[in-house]
Amino acid sequence: MTRSPVRALRRAVTAWRTSLRVKVIGSTLVVALVALVLVGTVMAATIRDGIFDQRVNTLLLESSRSASIAQSTFNASTASNGTQVQQLLNDMMSALQSGGSSDHDIFLWRSLDAGPASISVNDISTAPERGSTITGQLRSAVVAGGDKQHWQSVAIPTADGTEPGVIVGSTVEVPVAGTFELYFLYSLAPEQETLTFIQQVLAISSILLVGLLGAVTWLVTRQVVTPISQAAAVAERLADGHLDERLVVRGRDEVATLGSSFNAMAASLQDQIERLAALSAMQRRFVSDVSHELRTPLTTVRMASELIYDSRADLPPALGRSAELLAMQLDRFESLLNDLLEISRFDAGAAILDAEAHDVRSLVEHTVEGMTPLSELKGVPVLVDLGTQDATADIDQVRVERILRNLLANAIEHADGTVVEVTVRADHRAVAVRVRDHGVGLTREQTAHVFDRFWRGDPARARTTGGTGLGLSIAQEDALLHGGRLEVWGRPQHGAAFMLTLPRRAGMPLTGSPMTITGSDVEAAAAFLADVGSASRRRAQGPAAIPELTDFEEQP
Amino acid sequence: MAPMNPRILVIDDDTALAEMIGIVLRAEGFDVDMCADGDAALGTFRSTQPDVVLLDVMLPGIDGTQVCRLVREESNVPIIMLTAKSDTVDVVHGLESGADDYVVKPFKPKELVARIRARLRHNDEPVAEQLTVGDLEIDVTGHRVVRDGEAISLTPLEFDLLVALARKPWQVFSREVLLERVWGYRHSADTRLVNVHVQRLRSKIEHDPENPEIVLTVRGVGYRAGSAAQP
Repeated sequence: MTRSPVRALRRAVTAWRTSLRVKVIGSTLVVALVALVLVGTVMAATIRDGIFDQRVNTLLLESSRSASIAQSTFNASTASNGTQVQQLLNDMMSALQSGGSSDHDIFLWRSLDAGPASISVNDISTAPERGSTITGQLRSAVVAGGDKQHWQSVAIPTADGTEPGVIVGSTVEVPVAGTFELYFLYSLAPEQETLTFIQQVLAISSILLVGLLGAVTWLVTRQVVTPISQAAAVAERLADGHLDERLVVRGRDEVATLGSSFNAMAASLQDQIERLAALSAMQRRFVSDVSHELRTPLTTVRMASELIYDSRADLPPALGRSAELLAMQLDRFESLLNDLLEISRFDAGAAILDAEAHDVRSLVEHTVEGMTPLSELKGVPVLVDLGTQDATADIDQVRVERILRNLLANAIEHADGTVVEVTVRADHRAVAVRVRDHGVGLTREQTAHVFDRFWRGDPARARTTGGTGLGLSIAQEDALLHGGRLEVWGRPQHGAAFMLTLPRRAGMPLTGSPMTITGSDVEAAAAFLADVGSASRRRAQGPAAIPELTDFEEQP
Repeated sequence: MAPMNPRILVIDDDTALAEMIGIVLRAEGFDVDMCADGDAALGTFRSTQPDVVLLDVMLPGIDGTQVCRLVREESNVPIIMLTAKSDTVDVVHGLESGADDYVVKPFKPKELVARIRARLRHNDEPVAEQLTVGDLEIDVTGHRVVRDGEAISLTPLEFDLLVALARKPWQVFSREVLLERVWGYRHSADTRLVNVHVQRLRSKIEHDPENPEIVLTVRGVGYRAGSAAQP
């Protein structure tokens, strides 16, 4: 029961917050209502007072005239005994009753403080039942005031309630009987009726006025708000990529100006976007053309070199060595070309993630195995810690393997004969691989540039692996393409660490990593355990909190 | 007289590369024919009747994928595409036009020769064998697939793929295993080959390729043959 008004209120608040029209109409109506109530109240009061005062003045005049007529009649009377005086009073009563402009009642009462009368005369009135409207207060004021008029507003009891009235009193001298109080009771019912009618008219016209104001405001806001909401809708369509969308512009007013400015902006945006898209398409085509144009002659050169290289034993030593150099440098040329093309593909936004569920641990094992010749050549042992947790994730195998090869080759090359450690950790959201060496390390400044293109850690260093200088840039792009992260840590003489963190499912945002890049194995294991704990707790709370990973468990 | 050398038709507009390929292949004991023009490719194909076609994707005149389609219309000869583009879309596009395999430039001579030999290999291992999968009868020796007495035309590679699956209908083959069994690769990581060829095989042998009954996908693992025989 209590909910629906609460909900209605909430809906009203929401409408107020979200709709300009509701806000404008609402505030207009509230202000108009307040103003009308104030003006109406003042007007009603003024009219009421005016009518009342005017009426009372008329009545005072009328009653005073009647009272003086009565007084002069009494003065002229020759009545001397009780019966004659009574008769005189009765005659006077009917004379007073018939005179005057409006319906009224008359009371002719013997004064309260008049001394004992020589004759007994009855109080008379035209409506004895209304005598109670004359208060003692008024009577004593009338008696004290002599022939001065006194009046009072009263409520006259009627069959169905009361009606407003005015009672006017004064004294008259009656022959023989002494001082009498003369009261005229006038009903103000017709004035009340008039007043009620005026008030009704006022109220009805106020309501009509408010309604009219609401309608006018609605129309005005419609004229202003409709173009605004149209512009909003069109802007949304534009944002969704429908660049041809435009506003319909009518007339030459401010709204039309807004519309044409908006359209000009949209046209300019469309122009820019289309130009950029064309540029990007051109770039992509260029990449693909360069690819074809360079690769075909490279294939021929390469096949020729291979043929010569295979028969180098039959060649003079200098030619044989040349064949070896040629073959080796062609390899390097090819990988440089491949890396350049890969980078251009990223720049053109043409790189596509071909993600499928794969076991990162076996991929790491496989990659480390493939690096054995290099690690043996360099005398760098590679220690692998795969952890205990399943590490299946949606990855592009080719790209991740390329990242890992790159990190491993880098670490082995810079390890200076010390151990390289590879650690794999996983939690419910992400899989991380850390490659750590204990070689010369990196300064803070170097770590800031390590992912820059063609950046060399130590220009004087002899390179045996023939890196292209693009490897880490590509690795980082590959990680980003997965929605993952590639981080670096380094300290001079303490070695360096690279950590790749990939989300378990394609498109899942990364929130953290299953391990820290600097942490020792003990710390890493502790962090890992904490994560597993929180994962199982969350799982117990509700399945919606984490993505289902059953697909991965199917994988052999 | 010694057995005839396998004939290779090289369709490539780059004459230097074609000549180099020629030198390498002749050294390996193949007979090589050349064609430098897409428009002339089909005529040369008909007159030389090669055992394997090497086809460059970008050709003057009719382009490589178109040539591939034309050749495929009249022959099941193994076709290997030579492509400079290794992007997924380009590769899949080439394979869908009917190629059995592709080699990305720049390739090594040994790699090219290995691919050619892999495509020729099935010709010299005749095994008397008769298989049944679904409502298909497979005559492994005669290289024929028959449904209700009607022969279905498959390329040798499609045939090999079907036979590999049909031989062990209870086993699920991963894409990597199929690459090794059917294509003869040990290290290539490109499983797109398998996907495209399974699609093509299905379009030929399934009643409804959208709801396959003979070559089934096992999600996250690979493929297996449908019910071996009627119950």
